[in-house]
Amino acid sequence: MTVTSPATSPATCITVGVLALQGAFSEHVQLLRAAAANTSSAPTFRFMEVRTPEQLQQCDGLIIPGGESTTMSLVAARSNILGPLREFVKVKRRPTWGTCAGLILLAESANRTKKGGQDLIGGLDVRVNRNHFGRQTESFQANLHLPFLESTKETSKNDPYRCVFIRAPVVEKILPSNKALGIQEGENERADTVVAPSKTPVDELAKQELEREVEIMATLSTNAEPLQENQKHAHAGAEDIIAVRQGNVFGCSFHPELTDDARIHVWWLGEVVKAVERRQQFELAHRTK
Amino acid sequence: MSDPKMIKEIMDTVTIPVMAKARIGHFVECQVRPFPHLLFPLPLPPNPATLTNPLPHQILEALGVDYIDESEVLTPADAIHHVSKHPFRIPFVCGCRGLGEALRRIAEGAAMIRTKGEAGTGDVIEAVRHMRTVNTEIARAKNMSEEELRVYAKDLQVDYVLLKETAKLGRLPVVNFAAGGVATPADAALMMQLGCDGVFVGSGIFKSGDAAKRAKAIVQAVTHFNDHKVLMEVSMDLGEAMVGINCGTMAEEERLAKRGW
Repeated sequence: MTVTSPATSPATCITVGVLALQGAFSEHVQLLRAAAANTSSAPTFRFMEVRTPEQLQQCDGLIIPGGESTTMSLVAARSNILGPLREFVKVKRRPTWGTCAGLILLAESANRTKKGGQDLIGGLDVRVNRNHFGRQTESFQANLHLPFLESTKETSKNDPYRCVFIRAPVVEKILPSNKALGIQEGENERADTVVAPSKTPVDELAKQELEREVEIMATLSTNAEPLQENQKHAHAGAEDIIAVRQGNVFGCSFHPELTDDARIHVWWLGEVVKAVERRQQFELAHRTK
Repeated sequence: MSDPKMIKEIMDTVTIPVMAKARIGHFVECQVRPFPHLLFPLPLPPNPATLTNPLPHQILEALGVDYIDESEVLTPADAIHHVSKHPFRIPFVCGCRGLGEALRRIAEGAAMIRTKGEAGTGDVIEAVRHMRTVNTEIARAKNMSEEELRVYAKDLQVDYVLLKETAKLGRLPVVNFAAGGVATPADAALMMQLGCDGVFVGSGIFKSGDAAKRAKAIVQAVTHFNDHKVLMEVSMDLGEAMVGINCGTMAEEERLAKRGW
């Protein structure tokens, strides 16, 4: 019987976790399964709900779902998983995707927090504005063209994607890519704003991933039809940033998990595979040195 | 409905969404921003007072409350009808004792369902009964032929298409919470293990000895409902539980779960 070392063969089984402390985790797991059915045979995927540090440790990639960010952050702290989450995202720099509340938790800075604020995980050098469009009654859907989609068996990547915004945040400001790898100075002096604590990346590859610039992946025009009757929407600019990526950490304002459209999940799983392969090559090169 | 001033103060204090109760059938308490043609079938008289004063019917939705619970805990306002919930932008949650009530409420536009249980008792037996009833009835529907499902829809007094969808999914087509009598972390985990998507707790927390500690413990129990170690840890040293009422000794007319049609 031949035993192949995991570092020399391409990734054969990739474990993707969905943080299951609160929110739409079950919906994400279902869409991940649908997405995996759309990808080619190798590698195989394993999907799991993550509630403990031990479960997180088994994951190659992680989704932080939509839900209520204050609740998720409090439950994470009480479940002793907030530290391991920061380690996962900011020290090991594993591929992570946050939707809605997940985007807030992945931001280095978030405003409109009330008494006591909330603990952020961090990982994206952006400032988010919580509940940017208002409360539940101001929630809306918009069919948008997202340039990064992959096709599924049912839907072409060129078709619009139904984006569901519920008490949604937006990226209000792209912060300087934090070369010093400290906390975002200046952000912690703003009133009603919380910042994520700084962490040191585990190795050279994690450092490279962390030092990438923030890319804007999608915007929503403030002239969009669903926003025309929204009186609370502050028209800061012509476009609101609703999806960003910095290296292998990705965040979006809306809830792909509340649709049955797996196209973003198909794309993201592809990105996870690439990230896992980069790490395997890095570790192999390191070992042979 | 509670005093809107108090609801407003709560909304201003917390960053999480706020749910307010309205009486069964009391659509005026709910109306925040229904479609104008439903609110004003006739043109409004040009009364300057209505322009400056808040309109009396724009209550919970005007407050900007995030969800409405059309609740049997308050005295019902209508002995026959529930609120027609489709015209509202705000999502509604409604109580049920079984699949029939659940699907009737969903057909009326409820976006979420909860068990009725027996509110204010701290006795979980009714919540368990209602959840088990929903589960049993869905399991029964799952194994039925189309002809049998049509008869079952008639028996349950529900829409056939909605029943067929539920049978196909093997669960309610909306989220389903436990409510009415949950008082301990173990009660909450019990309801989650029975298949609920979340748990509502009111008096179980606020009438207990140490409300903050018990609230935290119940939240942990809901997230880690399958983790026996966490359940044991959070159940320790919680102080006095609420003084309960045994549902078995309640007179029929005292039961809140009977309200709703």
